[in-house]
Amino acid sequence: MRASRVRAVTIAVVAAALVATACSSKSSTSGGAGGVALTGAGATFPDPIYEQWFDDFQQVMPGAKINYQAIGSGGGVEQFTAQTVDFGASDAPLQSDEISALPGPYIEIPTVLGGVVIAYNVAGLKSGLKLDGETASKIFQGEITTWDDPAIAKLNPGVSLPSTPISVVHRSDESGTTFVFTSWLSSQSKDWESKVGADKAVNWPTGTGGDGNDGVAAAISQTDGSVGYLSYDFAVTSKLGIADIKAQDGSYITPSIESISKAGGGLTFPISPDTNILNSTTKGAYPISSTTYLLLYEQATDQAKAQTLFDFVTWALTTGQGTVQKLNYSPLPSDIASQALDALGKMTVNGQSLTASSAVTGGSTGSSSG
Amino acid sequence: MSSAVGSDALAGLGASEPKARRARFIDRGFRWVTLLIGVGLIALLIYMLVDLTAGGWRTFSRFGFGFFTGTTWNPVRGREQFGALPFIFGTLVTSLLAVLIAVPISVGLALFLNQVRGLLANPLAVFIDILAAIPSIVYGLWGLFVLKPFLDSTVEPFLIATVGKVPVIGVFFRGKAQGPDMLTAGVILAIMIVPIITAVSREVIAVVPRDLREAALALGATRWESVRVAVLPYARNGIVGATMLGLGRALGETIAVTMVIGNVPKIGWSLLQPGATIPSWIASSFREASSVGLHRSALLALAVTLVIWSLILALVSRILVRKTAEQLGEPGEDEPVSVARLGTAG
Amino acid sequence: MSAAGILQPVRGSRRIKDLAYRGALWCCVAIAMATLGVIAFYVVKRGISALSVNFFTKEPASQLHPEQGGIVQSFIGTGIIVGIASLIAIPLGLLTAVYLAEYGKGRLASAIRLTAQVLLSVPSIVAGAFIWTVVVVAFGNFSAFAGGLALVVLMWPIVARATEEVLLLVPQDLREGSLALGLPRWKTIMRVVVPAAGAGILTAVMLAVARALGETAPILLTALGNDFINTDPLKPTDAVPLRIFSDARTPVPGLHQIAWGGALVLLLAVLLLSIGARVLSVRQQKRLA
Repeated sequence: MRASRVRAVTIAVVAAALVATACSSKSSTSGGAGGVALTGAGATFPDPIYEQWFDDFQQVMPGAKINYQAIGSGGGVEQFTAQTVDFGASDAPLQSDEISALPGPYIEIPTVLGGVVIAYNVAGLKSGLKLDGETASKIFQGEITTWDDPAIAKLNPGVSLPSTPISVVHRSDESGTTFVFTSWLSSQSKDWESKVGADKAVNWPTGTGGDGNDGVAAAISQTDGSVGYLSYDFAVTSKLGIADIKAQDGSYITPSIESISKAGGGLTFPISPDTNILNSTTKGAYPISSTTYLLLYEQATDQAKAQTLFDFVTWALTTGQGTVQKLNYSPLPSDIASQALDALGKMTVNGQSLTASSAVTGGSTGSSSG
Repeated sequence: MSSAVGSDALAGLGASEPKARRARFIDRGFRWVTLLIGVGLIALLIYMLVDLTAGGWRTFSRFGFGFFTGTTWNPVRGREQFGALPFIFGTLVTSLLAVLIAVPISVGLALFLNQVRGLLANPLAVFIDILAAIPSIVYGLWGLFVLKPFLDSTVEPFLIATVGKVPVIGVFFRGKAQGPDMLTAGVILAIMIVPIITAVSREVIAVVPRDLREAALALGATRWESVRVAVLPYARNGIVGATMLGLGRALGETIAVTMVIGNVPKIGWSLLQPGATIPSWIASSFREASSVGLHRSALLALAVTLVIWSLILALVSRILVRKTAEQLGEPGEDEPVSVARLGTAG
Repeated sequence: MSAAGILQPVRGSRRIKDLAYRGALWCCVAIAMATLGVIAFYVVKRGISALSVNFFTKEPASQLHPEQGGIVQSFIGTGIIVGIASLIAIPLGLLTAVYLAEYGKGRLASAIRLTAQVLLSVPSIVAGAFIWTVVVVAFGNFSAFAGGLALVVLMWPIVARATEEVLLLVPQDLREGSLALGLPRWKTIMRVVVPAAGAGILTAVMLAVARALGETAPILLTALGNDFINTDPLKPTDAVPLRIFSDARTPVPGLHQIAWGGALVLLLAVLLLSIGARVLSVRQQKRLA
């Protein structure tokens, strides 16, 4: 090949790269033809509803491109702290050491309610197996090893249990779903509390790891005898067996949009590291219910981004609540939603407070379907 | 080459002093520029090592050497414990398994390519190069959706039912077939390292003097005997070097492994249980690891381990390849380069 | 085995062993070809159904109807990330190769080669972790630029080593002749040797780019990924291997199909470059021989 041809090719490659780079907009907020691009990262649990919301919100505010990467609650907090994303998402409330690591005051907004279910794939067992905290703790510690164990039989009189060995599946990545589930197990079993504890990632005594809710669901469905924990929306669509969980008053609650909603009344503002709606005393409330949070910084500096973010969260807490049930989530109770809106009001950009754009407040009557 | 040569030649013949001095200055400057850039590569490696060590320092200082011998990996704040042994174990097991599977096949391919000329050899060599070029993500995707179900439904139950029942060896094949496991990871790795072991073995075998083999054949030896007597003894060191290079590649594979291995920090005898290698664990945990507490630092400590490991392996394989070259009287070369050697994307 | 034994006609156990040996070699060949065949078969079969106009021109649609969307942002993102990496790594690699081939004969050159080997064999996730701590945290942003830098860590040694090989193949007479004619050393290198090695250098570059196209791990930690087209190198950007990786881990079969489609396109691109590089290198060697 002639030298001139080599040079020509090199120039073409360089030129192409330069053109691509030059095409980039210098404005920090531009994400395309005059739109605003936001980046968020975090929880996998609300990923389906968030994606739907981002899609729907784009109809309301064309040009608002919200790029959300579901890398796990731990990642959401981490990237939020490092300020490498515009907002974070976490299924677990911020813990005190995470709060002290933040560079500035933050706002924590609950967005939807959901539940963590115990899902299983056992040939011969239908959905609705009854389990309580102690038994679940023993299963996930590997102390109960077959489905026909007397402890399980005691809770399920009259049900014929196969002797299939139990295969535990848990999350291999850090996750708020793990946090919620292990928090519940810790509240139900002193043994679990002392040996394992509650966190976004724990040292599991037994079992296989799955990446994300999806990985766990896939792993459970692949092996007969498997049991794991999933967020409710994943479990419902995966057609796995779902356990009924014993509540404080001794009754067994089936996870459903209604039973999860009933637990919502337990949410209090402001959100603290201990905030949870586990073991709700409301009758018929599902014991392993949870909410998920958006993390924002109080003091923003980019006008366009802050406005878009403010608009989106306002929209999500109002109009957005109307679509959550379609995707098997539960809406926030209306008083919680309005408290969340108040919390959002603390957000300022360059010292100025924000108000929602007319496109967001105009169409809706401002109330959630709570 | 045209007028540039002409004018400079004339300049050289009757050059004025400043022009010649300028030319020498540019010449030396050019040399220094290339030298500095070369040093820059070394600086990059050192910077990487220093930066990662700084990140992992808190972990190293807290656990010391126990980091490498600890078996518990617990990121729960308040109970933090970071021991890398499960990942070292998983890395070694999957890599050794990969080498065990890959080396016989690779050496066979190398011998085949050396003796067969013509129609079949070139396509085969091309196919091996294609295997070398396939990106790790494609291997991972194929491994996850094709190989794993196949192994889970066919090979593994077979192994459990047969070898699994044999005492001693059987302990490697106990447990359930379903789910991600180290066997799948080992098989995928084997496929990925066959090209490099084959390529290097081929080079090493090609350098063995033909006279010995031809003499053996002339004396009536069978092909197998001629290889056994006149080729393998001389190529042995080189093949070991090739194996080390393959081992190095296997140790470093990330994405393909992380998609099929299950990522569980446990040590056990059975190949049919999930595990984790150092790279696969870093890939699955890094984005979410909290830098509050030691988790992120521990992962960076793992990364440092990988760099040092690679350094040691590179040195060892260089020594081995040099020894083979010396044996055969060739001038020692550092690391012969071939397409397969440049690795697959990870 | 005695000399007398060799001179006997081949029979019995000797023959069996030889046949077993030949059989074993053929087995190896069959295994290698079959494996490649199975991989190619599945990638093509499952990937081809994902390829559509939408696939190449649209951004991802909602998870309920993935086939209505595509991964155009991944293709563009890969182009930008690999483009940035190439812009930086190719000149650096070339000049490193020049040093190794033309100037360096001693311990320093040896150390540089060793460094290249180490950087090539370190898992690419390490490069990603390194660039994360140095660039992503410093900029406060995941970015295509960070992704490109992480790829530079791999591409630089590849270009350097492969180019060095090619430069060494250029006959010494060319250099001596040029110097004898009075050309300064640097002009000899850049105007004579490098052009003579032209096709070989292109080969080296193609190999490096082929490798960079398929890398997932370094981009995983540095570019984050994006559901939208992004042309700003300082913002999170998607890439084809990254999209394959995240789509494969979802439980949505439609997204799996898109992952296969991405894998097919990626594989074709990488193969075209690799095979093209090989063809070029053979031709180059014939020219210089």
